[in-house]
Amino acid sequence: MRRRTKERLFFMLFRGCAWAVGLALLIIVGYIVVLGIGVISWEFLTEFPRRGFTEGGIFPAIVGTLYLMALVMVIAVPIGVLTAVYISEYQGKSRFAGALRVAVNNLAGVPSIVYGLLGLGMLVFYLNWGFSLLASAMTLAFLVLPLVITASREAIQAVPSSLREASLALGTTKWQTIRHHVLPYSTPGILTGIILSLSRAAGETAPILLTGVVLTKTILPQDVWDTFMAMPFQLYALATRTVFEKTADFQYGTALVLLIMVVLMNLAAIVIRNRYREKYKW
Amino acid sequence: MSENIKVTGLNVWFDKNQALKDVSITIPKNEITAVIGPSGCGKSTFIRCINRMNDLVPKCKVTGRIEVDGKDIYDADVDVVEVRKRIGMVFQKPNPFPKSIFENIAYAPRIHGKDLDPSLQGTKVTKYTKKELAELVERSLRRAALWDEVKDRMEKSAYDLSGGQQQRLCIARTMAVDPEIILFDEPCSALDPIATAKIEDLLVDLKKDYTVVIVTHNMQQAARVADRTAFFYLGELIEFGETERIFEKPEQKLTEQYITGRMG
Ligand SMILES: Nc1ncnc2c1ncn2[C@@H]1O[C@H](COP(=O)(O)OP(=O)(O)O)[C@@H](O)[C@H]1O
Ligand SMILES: [Mg+2]
Repeated sequence: MRRRTKERLFFMLFRGCAWAVGLALLIIVGYIVVLGIGVISWEFLTEFPRRGFTEGGIFPAIVGTLYLMALVMVIAVPIGVLTAVYISEYQGKSRFAGALRVAVNNLAGVPSIVYGLLGLGMLVFYLNWGFSLLASAMTLAFLVLPLVITASREAIQAVPSSLREASLALGTTKWQTIRHHVLPYSTPGILTGIILSLSRAAGETAPILLTGVVLTKTILPQDVWDTFMAMPFQLYALATRTVFEKTADFQYGTALVLLIMVVLMNLAAIVIRNRYREKYKW
Repeated sequence: MSENIKVTGLNVWFDKNQALKDVSITIPKNEITAVIGPSGCGKSTFIRCINRMNDLVPKCKVTGRIEVDGKDIYDADVDVVEVRKRIGMVFQKPNPFPKSIFENIAYAPRIHGKDLDPSLQGTKVTKYTKKELAELVERSLRRAALWDEVKDRMEKSAYDLSGGQQQRLCIARTMAVDPEIILFDEPCSALDPIATAKIEDLLVDLKKDYTVVIVTHNMQQAARVADRTAFFYLGELIEFGETERIFEKPEQKLTEQYITGRMG
């Protein structure tokens, strides 16, 4: 009897926690949606801000964030996926691969401001890239690399070794086996990881704050050496001004657009995962 | 009998654990040789040496010689990829690729092209035409007695097939590379009796064209299909001879104990 009561008690506790988490999420998202939805309009999405972020829109910040994501992807995806292939398929007895694995696991826990400092010191000043889209993208790429590598590695290692053996036993080379089997079968998992990593990068402020983002700019970035505007930083900068009330609409609008973007990316990841789960169920 | 695979003084270690001890055996051409023995005695390890699959295991060390048609496949100048083209393997659990039935068979020939001549070392590869490839796929499937069951659904996923069909698909896939030797590692252990019977019929039919080595834990199966049988125990080859002789008049006490089921 007492055991049953205890069981019930713990079950209620767990359920209570789950509800609390769900509720908190709902309140935060609901708050932003309610306050932001009225702000979003075609004008808000397609125009430059005017009159100190009280009129116009957030077009350059949206474009800046998209540019940034595209660059981060171009830099982090090839390096991340190839590293994951190396660690999981070519590891062998190599000490280096072992060290790499430890490094990757620990890098994922480094605070983002530290990456920002690294980008500032190494890219902006030492390499003399200046405050630029490229320096920010590279910094964010450093930040998401461990995530991309870990997700890719997990996806690659989920491919059963019986399929590698099947291919190799037909007289294919290791690289052919990786290219024709391991990578295609793990692509859904890798893509999911990439999208989630990018959505993480989309919301980061500290790394870009130190390396290239600006609050106002009258034109879009012309090349990768140019500074840029971005949504998370715009939000941060407006919210921490002394007269933050005046730009409240802009803040909620920006937050909502950013939120929608991140949610869409996560939804895409879920769709990809479900679509392929059917195809490759071993 | 002409010899095809000649193994001399084969030793295999996994790290410090010796899995095979001084195994010497000569496997004849165009015959079925069964490898039997209690589990863990090194049967899989043995056949995986013949196509150098053990190369993939990080801490595996192999010493001794395995000559195939007179050439040691462990020689430094041997290309392991060529070895595996000549010596195919079918695994315990059917492992088709998550692709269409057609693609499963067409994959390797498309990669290798028409020049299976090892002296060219893949330098001069002529591609199969679409028609040739389709013919090759059909021929392989017919040879594996699967064609009639799948000819109307070549583009369907191989995963839609039953276990027995998947295993015959894997056999067809191996034959499409045109090997001279095919190794089977307990190919029926995941199959029901009817599917098993089909594979056994197929095996007997295959020896016209291939040298077959089959690992089995099923002694009746060895008795039914094999010309010769090798009995392994704790990593050693205890006895090897014509199947009938091994089952009726085993010379070694261990062999007798095993085949009469008096071994734990
Ligand atoms: N990949 C491996 N790594 C380490 N040890 C292995 C590996 N494969 C086989 N062994 C060891 O080698 C011995 C023989 O195994 P195996 O050849 O699989 O036996 P069988 O096929 O007769 O059941 C066993 O002791 C097993 O633990
Ligand atoms: Mg085995």
